[in-house]
Amino acid sequence: MSPYVLALLLFSLGLGTTMTFASSHWLLAWIGLEINTLAIIPLMAQNHHPRAVEATTKYFLIQATAAAVLLFAGTTNAWLTGQWEIQQDAHPLPVAIITLALALKLGLAPLHSWVPEVFQGLDLTTGLVLATWQKLAPLALLLQIHPPNSYLLILLGLTSTLIGGWGGLNQTQLRKILAYSSTAQLGWMVLVLQFSPSLTTLAVSVYVTTTAATFLTLKLAKATSINMLAISWAKAPALVALTPLVLLSLAGLPPMTGFMPKWLILQELSKQGLAPTATLAALTALLSLYYYLRITYTMTLTMFPNNLSGTPPWRLRTHKTTLPLACLAITTISLLPLTPAAVALVAL
Amino acid sequence: MLKILIPTLMLIPTAWFAPPKWLWPLTLMGSLLIAVTSFSWFKSTSEVGWTTLNSYMATDPLSTPLLALTCWLLPLMILASQHHTHNEPLNRQRTYLTLLISLQFFLILAFSATELIMFYVMFEATLLPTLMIITRWGNQAERLNAGMYFLFYTLASSLPLLVALLILQNTSGTLSLLTLQYMSPMSLTTHADKLWWVGCLLAFLVKMPLYGVHLWLPKAHVEAPIAGSMILAAVLLKLGGFGMMRMMLVLEPLTKEMLYPFIVFALWGIVMAGSICLRQTDLKSLIAYSSVSHMGLVVAGILVQTPWGFAGALILMIAHGLTSSALFCLANTNYERIHSRSILLARGLHMVLPLMATWWFFASMANLALPPLPNLMGELMIITSLIGWSYWTLALTGTGMLITASYSMYMFITTQRGPLPNHLVALDPSHTREHLIMALHLLPLILLILNPQLISGWVN
Repeated sequence: MSPYVLALLLFSLGLGTTMTFASSHWLLAWIGLEINTLAIIPLMAQNHHPRAVEATTKYFLIQATAAAVLLFAGTTNAWLTGQWEIQQDAHPLPVAIITLALALKLGLAPLHSWVPEVFQGLDLTTGLVLATWQKLAPLALLLQIHPPNSYLLILLGLTSTLIGGWGGLNQTQLRKILAYSSTAQLGWMVLVLQFSPSLTTLAVSVYVTTTAATFLTLKLAKATSINMLAISWAKAPALVALTPLVLLSLAGLPPMTGFMPKWLILQELSKQGLAPTATLAALTALLSLYYYLRITYTMTLTMFPNNLSGTPPWRLRTHKTTLPLACLAITTISLLPLTPAAVALVAL
Repeated sequence: MLKILIPTLMLIPTAWFAPPKWLWPLTLMGSLLIAVTSFSWFKSTSEVGWTTLNSYMATDPLSTPLLALTCWLLPLMILASQHHTHNEPLNRQRTYLTLLISLQFFLILAFSATELIMFYVMFEATLLPTLMIITRWGNQAERLNAGMYFLFYTLASSLPLLVALLILQNTSGTLSLLTLQYMSPMSLTTHADKLWWVGCLLAFLVKMPLYGVHLWLPKAHVEAPIAGSMILAAVLLKLGGFGMMRMMLVLEPLTKEMLYPFIVFALWGIVMAGSICLRQTDLKSLIAYSSVSHMGLVVAGILVQTPWGFAGALILMIAHGLTSSALFCLANTNYERIHSRSILLARGLHMVLPLMATWWFFASMANLALPPLPNLMGELMIITSLIGWSYWTLALTGTGMLITASYSMYMFITTQRGPLPNHLVALDPSHTREHLIMALHLLPLILLILNPQLISGWVN
C-alpha cells in the first residue's frame, strides 16, 4: 500500500478512537466510531484476497449496524431526557440498547458470531489492531455509561467467558482461537464494569499487552494454524521457550501478569456479594486454558516427529522490529508483583 | 529468610553461566549449601512460634520441616537427573535445571508465606514448572494427558479456593496467618457457609490427594521424569497437607459436622489405594498409589483436628516425603537400566546389585512403617487420634497398615528376591551417584528417629 494512503488510514484510525475518547456528546462519539470503522476497512482488505474481502464486508456490516443502533439509542435518550451528554444520567431503556450495541461492536457473547470469521480472514497484524485498538473506543463508551444494578452486564460477561472458552475448544486455526480468546477476556472486563470501572481499565491494559505479545509471537513464528506451530522451535528457540509463559499469562495463571486482573476482578465480585458469579467466571477460564495449553503443547512442550537433521531453517538476523515483542513479553510475564502499583495507577 | 531465597534465585544464573563441564557440579554444590543452611531454620527461639520474620515470610514449627525438606530435595533432584539428561543439548540441560530451581523458589515462598493470597499465588505458581517438567521431559506419549489432568484437577479445585479466600478477607478483614490464628470463631450456619468450607479445603484435598479426586496422581507421577516424580511425591503433595493445616484455623465450628464425607473417602482410600498397589505391575504406579494411601491417612489425621493428629500428619508427611522420593529414585535406577517400569522384568536384583538391594530394603521397610522409623511414629499418632474420634476407624486403618505391609513386601520381594531372570545379561553396576542419592534420602530418615521433635510441629 502506498505510504501516503497507509499514513492517512492509520491517522484516521487514531483520530476516530481519540474523538470517541474525547467526546461528551453522543453524536460525536458515533462520528468517532464511524471514522474508526471506515479507516480500518481498507487496511483489512488491502491484499484483495477474497477471504480478506469477505472478512472486511462482514466486519463493516456488523460495525455499521452497531453504530446505527448506538446513534438510534443516543437519539432516543435525547428524546427521553432532553440532553445529549454521555456523562449525564440516562434513561434505562436507551442505556440497555447502547450496551447491546457496544457489545455487538466488541464481540461479546451472545453477539460474538462475527469475531472468528472476521479474524480468520485477516493477517496477523491487522488482527492485532482489531483485537486491541478497535476495542478501546467502545470500552471507553461503556466505561462512561455503565449502569448500576445491571443484570445485563453480568449476563454478557458470563456468557462471553463461557462461549469464548467453549468456542475455541474445537479450533485449529490460530486466528479463530485468538478471536474466541478475545471474547472471553472481554467478558471478564465487562463483568466488573459496574462495580469498579478502574478494574476494567486495568483488565483492558493487561489484555492489550498480553494479546499483543501473543499476536506478535505468532507473527514471528509465521504460524496461522496449530500444525504450523510445530516447527517454530527451530526458527526462534528462545522465543518459543518463553511462549508458554505468555500464553498462560493470557489464560490468567499465576504468577504471570495475566493473573492480576482476574484476581482483582474476583475480589471485587466477592466484595459485592457475587461469590457464585465469581466462582463460575473463574471456572469458565479453565475452558480457555485448555486451548491455550494445547497451543503450548504443540509449540514448545513436544517435538514434532519430523526428521529435521539438515532441514531446520536458517536463523538469519531479522529486519523486522522485535523490540515491541521483547518488551511486551517481559511485561506479560513478570509484572504480577507490581499489583499494588497497578491498582493505584488505575484508581479513578 | 532471604539468606536462602536469594541464593536459590541466584542458582538460575549459575545454571546459565556455568561452563559446560561444571554445570552439574556447580548447581549441585550450590543447592547442597542452601540445603545445609536451611537447617538453621530448625532453631526457633521465639515465644509465639513464628521466627525469621519479615513482611511477607515467616517460619514456624509447621513450615520449618517442610521448608527443610524442599531445600534438601533440590540437590537430590539434581543428582538424580544427571543421567537421563546427559545426552541432551546443553541449553536444554540448563533449562531443566532452571525449572527445578524455580520450583524450589516458589515452594520456599509458598511454605513461608504469611499471607494466604501469597500462599495461593505460590501454590499455583508451582504448577507451571511441574507441568513443563512432566510434559517436556517425560518419556511416554501419555505424558501429555498426564500434564492436562495434573493442571486441570488442581486448577478446578483451587479457583474456588481463591474465591473462598477473598470471601474470608471480606468477612474477617485480614488474610495474614499471624492474626488469623487469634480470630474468634465465626458463626457458620448457612448452606453458603458450608459451600465456603468445602471451597477452602477442596484444593488441598485434590492436591493431597484425597481418594475420590486422586486420578491425576498416578498419571503425573508415572509420566514425570525422575526429578518430577521426586518433587511431586516429596513436596508438592505436602503443599496440600500444609494448606489444610493452615486453613483449619479459620474453619472452626463447622468442621465437626462437615468432615464426615471427607474422612470416609480418606479412610476408604487407604484401603482401596493399597489394594490397587497389590495388583500393579508398573513400579512407578505402585509407588504412586502408595502415596495416595499414605496421604489418605494424613488427610484423616488433619481432619480430626487433635494435637496428635496434626503432629502425626506432619511427621508422616516428612517421613513419607523422604521414603517416597527414595522409592522413586530406586525405581529410576531400574528404569535407567532396562528402560521399562515393569516390576516383572528386573527381578532378583539382590544377586546382581547387593548394595542397591540394601537401599531397596530400607526404603521398603520405611514404606511399610517399620519401627523405629518416623513413618511408624506418624502413622501411630494419626491412628491413635482417629481412635479417639471413633473406635471403628481402627478397622480401616488397621487393614490399611496390613495392606501397606503386603504391597511393600511384594515390591521388595519381586524386585530383589527370587531367581535372577535369564534375560538380564547386561546391567550397569550401581553408580556412586545412585548410592549417594539413596544415602542422602535414607540417612535423614534414620537420623530423625533420634530427634523427632524437629518434625512434630507445634506440639512441643
